[in-house]
Amino acid sequence: MPELPLSQPSQRSDASRLESGRPNSAGPIIDFAPDVSCLDVEGLSLAYGGKPALRDLTLRVPRHRVTAFIGPSGCGKSTLLRALNRLHDLNEAVSRQGSIRLEGQEIHAPEVAVDELRRRVGMVFQAPNPFPMSIYENVAFGLRLQGGLTRRRMNDIVEWALEAAALWDEVKDRLRASAWSLSIGQQQRLVIARTLAVRPEVLLLDEPASALDPISTLKIEELIRSLKSQLTLVLVTHNMQQAARVSDYTAFLHDGELVEYAPTASLFTNPRLARTENYITGRMA
Amino acid sequence: MTKPFPASPAHRSPRRHLLDRLATGLIAAGGIGVILAVLAIGAFLAIEVVPSLFSGALGQEQITLSLSPLAWGTLKAAFWALVFAVPMALGAAIHSAVYMSPGLRSRIKPTLELMEALPGVVIGFVAGLVLAPWVERHLAGAFALLLVMPLGILMAGGAWRWLSPALRQRLPLAWAGLWLVPWLAMLGLAALELVPWLEARLFAGDLRGWLDAELGIDYASRNALIVGLAMGFAVMPSVYALAEDALSGVPSSLGEGAQAMGATRWQTLWKVVLPAAAPGVFAAVMIGAGRAVGETMIVLMASGNTALMSLSPLEGMRSMAAGIAIELPEAVAGSDSYRLLILAALLLFLFTFLVNTLAEVVRSRLRRRYRRLGDLS
Amino acid sequence: MSPAALTRRARLPRGEGAWAWLAAGSVALSLLLLGGLLTLIAVRGLAHFWPASVSLVELDDGQVFAGRAVRELPLPAADGASGGRERLYFTGNRDLDGHVWQWVEVDRIVESDRPRELVVMERLRHGDFIGRLVDVRPAGQTGARTAAGGEAAWAALQARLAAVDALRGERDDLQHGVIQPLVRRLEKDPGDGAAQRRLAETNERVRGLQESMRRDVVVLESADGRRLLLTLDEVLRAWRPNAMPLPEKIGAWSRGVWRFLSEGPRAANTAGGVWPAIFGTVLMVMLMSLLVTPFGVLAAVYLNEVAHQGRLTNWVRIAVRNLAGVPSIVYGVFGLGVFVYGIGGSLDEWFFSDELPSPTFGTGGLLWASLTLALLTLPVVIVATEEGLVRIPDHQREGALALGATRLEMLTRVVLPMAVPAMLTGVILAVARAAGEVAPLMLVGVAKLAPQVPVDGEFPFLHLDRKFMHLGYHVYDTAFHGDDIQAAMPVVYATALLLVLVVVVLNLTAIFLRHYFRARHGALSRH
Repeated sequence: MPELPLSQPSQRSDASRLESGRPNSAGPIIDFAPDVSCLDVEGLSLAYGGKPALRDLTLRVPRHRVTAFIGPSGCGKSTLLRALNRLHDLNEAVSRQGSIRLEGQEIHAPEVAVDELRRRVGMVFQAPNPFPMSIYENVAFGLRLQGGLTRRRMNDIVEWALEAAALWDEVKDRLRASAWSLSIGQQQRLVIARTLAVRPEVLLLDEPASALDPISTLKIEELIRSLKSQLTLVLVTHNMQQAARVSDYTAFLHDGELVEYAPTASLFTNPRLARTENYITGRMA
Repeated sequence: MTKPFPASPAHRSPRRHLLDRLATGLIAAGGIGVILAVLAIGAFLAIEVVPSLFSGALGQEQITLSLSPLAWGTLKAAFWALVFAVPMALGAAIHSAVYMSPGLRSRIKPTLELMEALPGVVIGFVAGLVLAPWVERHLAGAFALLLVMPLGILMAGGAWRWLSPALRQRLPLAWAGLWLVPWLAMLGLAALELVPWLEARLFAGDLRGWLDAELGIDYASRNALIVGLAMGFAVMPSVYALAEDALSGVPSSLGEGAQAMGATRWQTLWKVVLPAAAPGVFAAVMIGAGRAVGETMIVLMASGNTALMSLSPLEGMRSMAAGIAIELPEAVAGSDSYRLLILAALLLFLFTFLVNTLAEVVRSRLRRRYRRLGDLS
Repeated sequence: MSPAALTRRARLPRGEGAWAWLAAGSVALSLLLLGGLLTLIAVRGLAHFWPASVSLVELDDGQVFAGRAVRELPLPAADGASGGRERLYFTGNRDLDGHVWQWVEVDRIVESDRPRELVVMERLRHGDFIGRLVDVRPAGQTGARTAAGGEAAWAALQARLAAVDALRGERDDLQHGVIQPLVRRLEKDPGDGAAQRRLAETNERVRGLQESMRRDVVVLESADGRRLLLTLDEVLRAWRPNAMPLPEKIGAWSRGVWRFLSEGPRAANTAGGVWPAIFGTVLMVMLMSLLVTPFGVLAAVYLNEVAHQGRLTNWVRIAVRNLAGVPSIVYGVFGLGVFVYGIGGSLDEWFFSDELPSPTFGTGGLLWASLTLALLTLPVVIVATEEGLVRIPDHQREGALALGATRLEMLTRVVLPMAVPAMLTGVILAVARAAGEVAPLMLVGVAKLAPQVPVDGEFPFLHLDRKFMHLGYHVYDTAFHGDDIQAAMPVVYATALLLVLVVVVLNLTAIFLRHYFRARHGALSRH
C-alpha cells in the first residue's frame, strides 16, 4: 500500500511515522492533500428537529482506500454516512450547515441532481434490502433506470457485478429466482452487486455485516478489501475488530464530533487521546 | 482481484428529471384534488343551507317543528342500538383480548368483521319483516329470551366450577365463546317451549293484551326495541373491533405486574388494563354512536317511520336519515322542505364528523401513550 | 373439616367471577345471532326453489283444498289450556279463490295426503295454480277427453309446454333484438320508411308466434272440483311435486336457481328472477371501482409519499378517515345536490336542451350513482392503500434512491408494486361496501323496475344516464312496497341471500389478501 500525500509537508513525516506506528505529534486528526481526497467534509453540522447530531465536522476521505467510522451508538457515524449521499433529503426535520465535496464538487449545489449523486455514491445498508424481484432484476434495477443498454450489455454488466460481489458462482443457475429466496448473507452481497452495477465512485457501507453470521461477515470483509482497487469505500461499523481488519484509516466519532482520525494501525495500537483509548479498550460503551 | 469496470453507459438524466417533476406535480395536484372533493361534502351542505338560515327563509319555528321529531327519533334509535350493542361489544372485546385462545381469536375477529359487512338492507328486512311480526306474536317469548340468555351464561359459569377437572380441561374458558353457542341455542329453544305455558298462567295467555289493559302500554309491531336490536347487531362489530384493539394494545407488562401479585385476570383487567385502555374504549363507543345515528336502511325498514315523539321503547319513530331517504327524492330542489332535509343531512354530517374526529384524536393519543409505556418496560 | 375435603376444595379452580362468563357469553351470543341470521336467510332463500310437496286436505266441515304447508304456530289459548295449533297453507288459485293463503286449525283436518297427480303450475297471471290436470287439447275442440286422463295428459302437456317455450323464446328474441331498436329509431326519425316496413313485418311475425302459442288449451280442475281453461301461452311451467323422486327435485331446484339468476322479474317483482338487478349492481360497482381506484391510490400516494409530513397532513388524514364514518345517506344528499341537480342540470342545459323539460342527466342515473358511491368509498381505498404504503419498510425506498432512482422511479418500480395487495384489499372492501349500500342509491338513480339494462347494442352501448336496478334496493322495494308481502317473501329471501353471498365472498377475499400481505411483510421485516 503506497503512502498517501498529506496536506502539509510538515505532517508528511508525521504520517509516515504514524504508519510505522510511531507517535503522532501533529494532532489527533490526519489530513490528506486535496489531490488524493475523494470526499471533503467541511464544517458539517446536522440536527434532527433541532437536536444536534453532528457538530462542525471536518474530515477528508482518501480515494481508493477503506475508511472506517467507529464510535458508540448515537455518536453520529451513520448520520455522517447518510449525509454523504444526501439521504437526509428525505427527512424534512433535518437541518444542515457546512459543505461536502465529492471530487471537489459541492454536492449540495443546486445544479447537482441528487439521483446522479446517489448513483456516484452508492450505499449498502445494515439490513439487506433486495427488492421483491428476481436476482437478475435486482442487479439490473439501477441499469434500467439509466436505460440505453442492449440486452447483451446488460447481461454482461449483471454478470460482472455479481462476480465482483463474489456471488456469481452461487446464483448463476437461478438468476430468475426471487431475491428473497437467498440467504441473508447472499442477499447482502446481492445488494452490493446491485450497487456496483451502476459503477459508483464511492461505496458507503452502513454496518453491512451486523445482521450476518461470521462466515458471511468474512466474505463481506474480503469483498470490501478486494473492491478498494476500484473505488473509495467508507465503512460504518460498531465492530472494532472489523474496522481493524479491513480499513486503512479510521475515524473515531463521539457525541457528534470527530475525536480522532488516523491510519487504522496507529489508531488501534497507539491512540493519541484517552477518549479513543477508553473506547477501543471497551471502557466506554 | 476483480476485473475492471465495464465502460460507462449513456445517461438520460434530463428527461427523467422532467418526468419526475411532472409526475410529482400531478400526484400532488390529483391528491389534493381528491382530498378536497371528499372534504367538499361538508362545504356543499353548508352552502345550501346556511344562507337560508340567515336570510330567515327557514324560520326557527319551522325548523323546530319539522326536525325535532326526526332528531328525537334518531337519538331514540341510536340509544336503543347502543343499549344492545355496547354491553355485548365490550364483553366480547374483553373476552377476546384477555381470555380467548389466540387460535380462536384469529378466527373470531374476521367472522365479526364479516358481521360488520352485512348490508343494512338485509338486516333491516329481517328485522322489519321477520323479527317484528315474530316478536309481536311471541312477545312473552322475546322478553323471556332477553332474560334467559344472561342467566344461562351465568348458570354455565357456575356449573363449570363444579365440573370434573378433565371436563374443565376440555371446555376451557379460553374457548367458551364457542362452546357456549350450542348451550345458549338449547336454552333459547327450551325457553320458547316453556313460555306459552307461563304466559297462559301469568298473563292470561296474551301478554300484549295484558300490557295494554293493565299498564296502558301500546305495542307497535315495528318499535324502538326491534330497531335497537337490529341496529345493535349492525353496530356491535365495529365497536367490538375498536375496543378489542384498544384492550389488546395495552402493553402486556402492565397486566403481568398485577397478575404476578396474585390478581385474577378479571381483577387485572378491571384495575389495570381497562383504565389504561379507557380512552380507546370510549372512542369505540363514540364511533358506534356515529354509525347508529347515520344508519338509514335498518331504521327505515324496522321502525315504522311514524314521526312520534314518545319515550316508550315499544313505539316506533322516524329518524333523520330515514326521513331524508323517503322525502328527498320527492322534494323539489330549492323548496323549503328540500332545504330542511339538507339541513338534516348537514346536522348528521356535523354530528358524525365531530364524533369521529373526537374518537380519532383520543385513539391517536392512546397509541402514543401505549408506545411510551411499551418503551418504559 | 377433614384433610380430604381441604384438598378437594383446593382443587377447585380459582374463579374469574361472573363477569368473565358474561364476557364470554357475549361472544357466544353474537356468534349465535350471526349464525342464526345467516342460517335463516340461507334456508329460506334456498327453500324458495325447492319443489315442495303438495297436500290434499279435507276439513271437518267437508271443505277440500290442495296446498303447500308453509308454517305452523300455536294458537293463542283463551282459557289457560293449550289452544292447539294452526297451519298456514299456500293454496294458489288466486283467480278462483281470490286469495292464495289459508290458515287452518290442525284439529279440524280430517284427512291429508299427497296424491301423485296433483299439479303445480306457474302462470303468467294470477300466480300459481294447484290442482289436477284434466286434459290438453286444441283450442277449438270441445267435448270429451282426447287423452285417457292422468299420465297421458301429463305427457302431452310437457311436450306442448316445451314447444310453447321455444316459441316464446323466439318471440322474446324478436321483441328485444328487432322491435325495440326499431321503435327507438323511429322515435328519433319518424319518417324512416324502411324501418316502418320492417317493424310492421316483425310485428306480424310476433303476432303469428303468439297465435301458435295460443293454439292449445289446458283443462284444469281445482281440488274442490272447479274447472279452469287456460291457453298454453299463459303457462310457464308445470310440475307434479308429489310424483318427483329426489334427484328430479334436485334438478328442478337447480333449474329454479338458475332461472332466478338469469331471468327478469315478473308480477311486480314478486316472482321471476333478478337478472337485471344483478347486472345493474355489477355494472354500477364496476364503474365505481374504475373511478375510485386511480383517485384513491393517487390520494394515498400523495398523503404518504409526497406531502410534507406535518400537522396539516395529519389532520387531513384524520378527516379522510372520518369521512368513512359519515352516514351514506349524506353522500346520497351530496350526490343528488351536486351531481344530479348541479352538474346533471347544467349538462342538460348545454347538450340536451332539445329534450328538456324531461331530464337526461338531470335525474338519477347510472353515472351519478357510480360517482356517489365512488366518493363514498374513496376513504376506504385511501386508508387501505396508505396502510399498505406505511408497511413497506423505508429501507426499500432508500435502496432504490441509493441506486440513483428518482422519486417517480422509486414509486413506480419498488413501492407501488409492493403495495398492490393493499390497494386490491381496499378496492375489494370498497366494492363490498358499495354492493350492499342502498340508502344513497335511493336518491341518485336506482329504479324499482328497469327491464332495460343500461348496456345494449345501441350507440353509445353503455347508457350512463339510464336508471338501473340494484339487488339491495330490490330487497327493500319488494319487501315494503308490494301488495302481497307474504307472497313476495321467498323472492326477498333469495335476493337477500344473493346479496349477502356477494358481500361475504368479497370480504373474505379482502381478508385473505390482507392476511397474505401481512405474512409476506412479516417475512420481509424479519431481518
